[in-house]
Amino acid sequence: MITPLPVDEPHVPTAVVVGQGGRTYWQEAFGRLRRNRIGIASGGLLLFFVLVALAAPLLAAAFTHTDYSTQDLANTFAPPLTPGHILGTDDLGRDTLTRLLFGARVSMGIGFLAVMVALTIGAAVGLVAGYYGGLIDGLLMRFVDIILAIPPIFLFILMSILFKPNTISLALIIASVGWGSIARLVRGEVLSVRSRDFMVATRALGARDVRLIVRHLLPNVLHVLIVFGSLYLGSVILTEAALDFLGLGITPPTPSWGNMLTNSQTYFFHSRWLVGWPGVLIFLAVLAANLFGNAVRDAFDPRLR
Amino acid sequence: MPGPLLEVHDLKTQFSTPEGVVKAVDGVSFELNAGETLGIVGESGSGKSVTALSLMRLIPPPGRIVGGRVLYDGRDLTKLSESEMQGIRGESIAMIFQDPMTSLNPVFKVGWQVGEPLMLHRAESKAKAFSSAISVLAKVGIPSPADRARDYPHHFSGGMRQRAMIAMGLTTTPKVLIADEPTTALDVTIQAQILELLRNVNREFGTATILITHNLGVVAGMCERVMVMYAGRVVESGPTVDVFAHPKHPYTWSLLRSIPRLDAERHEALRPIEGLPPDLIDLPSGCAFHPRCTFAIDRCKRDTPALNRVGDTQLAACWVTQAGTELRDA
Repeated sequence: MITPLPVDEPHVPTAVVVGQGGRTYWQEAFGRLRRNRIGIASGGLLLFFVLVALAAPLLAAAFTHTDYSTQDLANTFAPPLTPGHILGTDDLGRDTLTRLLFGARVSMGIGFLAVMVALTIGAAVGLVAGYYGGLIDGLLMRFVDIILAIPPIFLFILMSILFKPNTISLALIIASVGWGSIARLVRGEVLSVRSRDFMVATRALGARDVRLIVRHLLPNVLHVLIVFGSLYLGSVILTEAALDFLGLGITPPTPSWGNMLTNSQTYFFHSRWLVGWPGVLIFLAVLAANLFGNAVRDAFDPRLR
Repeated sequence: MPGPLLEVHDLKTQFSTPEGVVKAVDGVSFELNAGETLGIVGESGSGKSVTALSLMRLIPPPGRIVGGRVLYDGRDLTKLSESEMQGIRGESIAMIFQDPMTSLNPVFKVGWQVGEPLMLHRAESKAKAFSSAISVLAKVGIPSPADRARDYPHHFSGGMRQRAMIAMGLTTTPKVLIADEPTTALDVTIQAQILELLRNVNREFGTATILITHNLGVVAGMCERVMVMYAGRVVESGPTVDVFAHPKHPYTWSLLRSIPRLDAERHEALRPIEGLPPDLIDLPSGCAFHPRCTFAIDRCKRDTPALNRVGDTQLAACWVTQAGTELRDA
């Protein structure tokens, strides 16, 4: 049995004792995020949109008593506050509120799915490229350069023609462009983390590459993913709405905020609210995503402290 | 007596750079016996750290081990596959690094990191490794280790982090501990504590220690044997007492006269070694030290001396002392 080695108590720095209730980077970051009122408000709004999207069928059943494709040809272009149609109806007499509720599913579903896919691919590529360096890095980063050099709108149009757009395929199409920038950012961060002593020290403990990448590198670049992911969400929502508007994304009868805009632009001069509702929602969703993204960046980016 | 624990034969490590090949380690041979403490001293760029990293096969690219053998437990470490080497690192040979401030991963609790070798090599669960880590932290003198194990590295002071690094190296009770300038980044009182800890570890765990330092005082206090490196080669080795009392290589001799000592005459001046360390890409011909050596003879410029026995206990790579000349003030 080995006896404990002598400890000179006076040499134990007081700072360490003070740090007893010490908080981690994550606790501090979340604390900063909580104190950011605009960030919390926009995060709350995003959460509200997500909950609405998830509960769309229930909300429709409870409040509007109709579904998004039921037509009421006797009651077309009903203005807002019409009994039974709180936000009015469109050219086919479909209830606008119901369609907006279901439209949230498209925007939020594709938004979050595309962000997840882009983060996963981007993180994997960035980690591998940055960790191994050399030829692997060169090949992967040149591939990223190629992806980023193609005009995205051209790629979206091409892919929409090749693959029939639905929620999942559209998310993949949008993510197929977005991962490139993430991979670059992650790689840059990995290059700086990789050269820190603890990576060699951990290798000296006998850790394998996979463990070093997943257990040691990934947590050190996670803040990049969180920050970029939350800022990227707004751009995905906007891109998706634009594709729907151009008829390259989700197409009627499935309602989305983007294709509702397309449909209603014809009637802009006598039924402005038909343009207004989806337009305002797209605006609010993107604004909330961007403001929340900024708040997350302020809270998590170690360089801003 | 059994053979040495670790035998290094003619180890050569080189870095290919656009400017040329840097011969960072150029034919180093030494032995490490079980339980002993070997000091490796030399100035910056003499190849001490690269030697240590070569033993662990952790040379960063574009560095490469180009020759020689590292025999441990009957196996040549330079020939092992990467996955076999991963089984050696942290299990049989552990290493602690110079800068404890950056050698711990900032995002993990200290206890988790200290226990990591057990998860890697003993397949211990996270919880079990964590509790083992607490007991090792206690052994390296971390007060209230159960609480400290839940702290993050930034809660630790430099000295505590170095203790944690040592604990991390010790969890698997390795046979060899390589300490690469473990006290360089610490202030002097903490240095003394960490050296005391390393001494205790060596005594109580029976871990053979390779202590790399540029501090001759540390070597004098810690090591039974010492090896002096210059320009990627071993220029002298032997029992610390003998090397310090009667250096057999002019470099060691000059090094010892360049540092202050308590028993010096009151007005005796320190004598720096004239000149600069050589360029490792373009080494001087013959003995790499000859341009700075006050004893150099013609042969030193032509032929590279081998490390040979000089005196009863020492080895030195010097034509002058091998010929029997005593090193004295001119």
